Amino acid sequence: MEILHQLVELFPFAIAGSILAGIICSFLGVFIVSQRVVFLGAVLTQVAIAGVAFSFLHIIHIETLIASLLGITIEKDELMHNFEPIFYSLLFAILTVIIFSQTHRQKHITKDGILGIIFVVAIAVRIMFIQKSPVADVAEIESILKGDILFINQTEFYILGVILIFTVSIFTFFRKQLKFVTFDSESANAHGINSRKWLLIFYIVVGTGISLTTRFVGDVFAFAYLIIPSSIGILTAKSVKNVFLISILVGGAVPPVAIYFAFKFDFSSGPAAVVTAFVLFLAVYVVKKLRG
Amino acid sequence: MNKEIINFTDVSIGYGNTAILTGINISIAENDFIGVVGPNGAGKTTLLKSLLGNIKLLSGRISKDDLRFGYVPQRDTVQPLLPYTVFDVVMMGRYSLSNSFKRISAEDKRVVEESLSYIGMSDVKNKNYNSLSGGQKQRTLIARALAVEPAVLILDEPTNGMDTPSHYSLLELITRLHSEKKLTIFLVSHLLTDVANIVKKIMLIDKNYFQFGDIGEILSEENLQRTYSSDFHISEIDGEYIIIPKHTKIL
Repeated sequence: MEILHQLVELFPFAIAGSILAGIICSFLGVFIVSQRVVFLGAVLTQVAIAGVAFSFLHIIHIETLIASLLGITIEKDELMHNFEPIFYSLLFAILTVIIFSQTHRQKHITKDGILGIIFVVAIAVRIMFIQKSPVADVAEIESILKGDILFINQTEFYILGVILIFTVSIFTFFRKQLKFVTFDSESANAHGINSRKWLLIFYIVVGTGISLTTRFVGDVFAFAYLIIPSSIGILTAKSVKNVFLISILVGGAVPPVAIYFAFKFDFSSGPAAVVTAFVLFLAVYVVKKLRG
Repeated sequence: MNKEIINFTDVSIGYGNTAILTGINISIAENDFIGVVGPNGAGKTTLLKSLLGNIKLLSGRISKDDLRFGYVPQRDTVQPLLPYTVFDVVMMGRYSLSNSFKRISAEDKRVVEESLSYIGMSDVKNKNYNSLSGGQKQRTLIARALAVEPAVLILDEPTNGMDTPSHYSLLELITRLHSEKKLTIFLVSHLLTDVANIVKKIMLIDKNYFQFGDIGEILSEENLQRTYSSDFHISEIDGEYIIIPKHTKIL
């Protein structure tokens, strides 16, 4: 009880932010897993991190450019100060999903082949970018890579809130088109729904959600929460609605529990959240197996 | 003579700069029942996708006014991981008819129920699509195409991989759709005997070879030989065609 009290007092935004990040990832994860593009989730988290690492090279100062256009001072505005890593992780992720959505149907290389190439290149360039980053920034990049959810601050919490609203809104407003093209893109196209366009929109929303969440909680947490809660949902639910509900419930409820254990036993919160979700997955899987 | 609803004028189809079929000039009339046959990779799917407007024509024009098309894919291409119900799947047919912000209406539900009832699937409408047999899945996909309230129905290899009773029951349903609902039907199949016995017209397609007309005119051993580069024997017993390949004797 003492630990819980301390946690709520010291890290209120970390707890609330971890819930939001878990919900975003688990919601998007239902689509990622059901579309059989799990590897895309792994690729996007790596690409997002490569984008963050690129921003620390300070080659093009997007922040300064926008700040001068808007006439604001970046040092005083925390949101703007965080803008460059967010901008580049988003840019890299969107470029990746555009390449993927336009090429994954071609016959020369498999879908996995395309994703595999992007995956290794993203890791390679990330290492190269970090090597060339100013020494002062390396620790910050590494903390992003580790993704300690305990350090989610107020601004990041609000940004996560905006990402969640944006993601859910898009999937709510365009649910008919997105449901049809993700179920059967060929027939959707034949029935007059431009599946190429809608799949591109789908992948851009997924890319946006994953890249921004990865920026705040790290690649391990983001990827794990894309896969594990949605897999639990698919394993247990008998309707599509319940798959989403269970997935979101697991994605939102497990991270605060994991933070509690991480705090109690002195572990990093990100990996603790992944292991806690995995233990739950294992329990659900075993119960499901035993029940036949 | 029924009204012409689709006209191909000097149509060339293919991918990129590669033409598969050129100079197609045909008319499709209301309530036509057309079998589309040819070897794998001949261009059957390309022709139908061009008709649906999903592939750009290399040249020429297809006029089809404001026809509504219902499309039934091969059921193996639809393998959802999410537990969609039969009703959910059929409702997707209505999605192309309304804008994003319009809610599912009572009319949409009525049409879906009617489509399910017509194909005899009302009693399993709340079942998980994944739990259905192959024949039931195919019927669900046909119901989804019917939910579009189409004038033209395109079926891509609908009986592939089915057991004999399901196979004939599905062919009977397709024939009924043509006769009762007066739909214009394109039936893609590699089963020549099936096609020959239920359709009225036939398209024989191979690379740079295209024949279209009444079944009696087009279905000949010569035309099949040209299409498949293989010899066939066509016989008629009790008014039914039987088409079998002539096998070379192995010594």
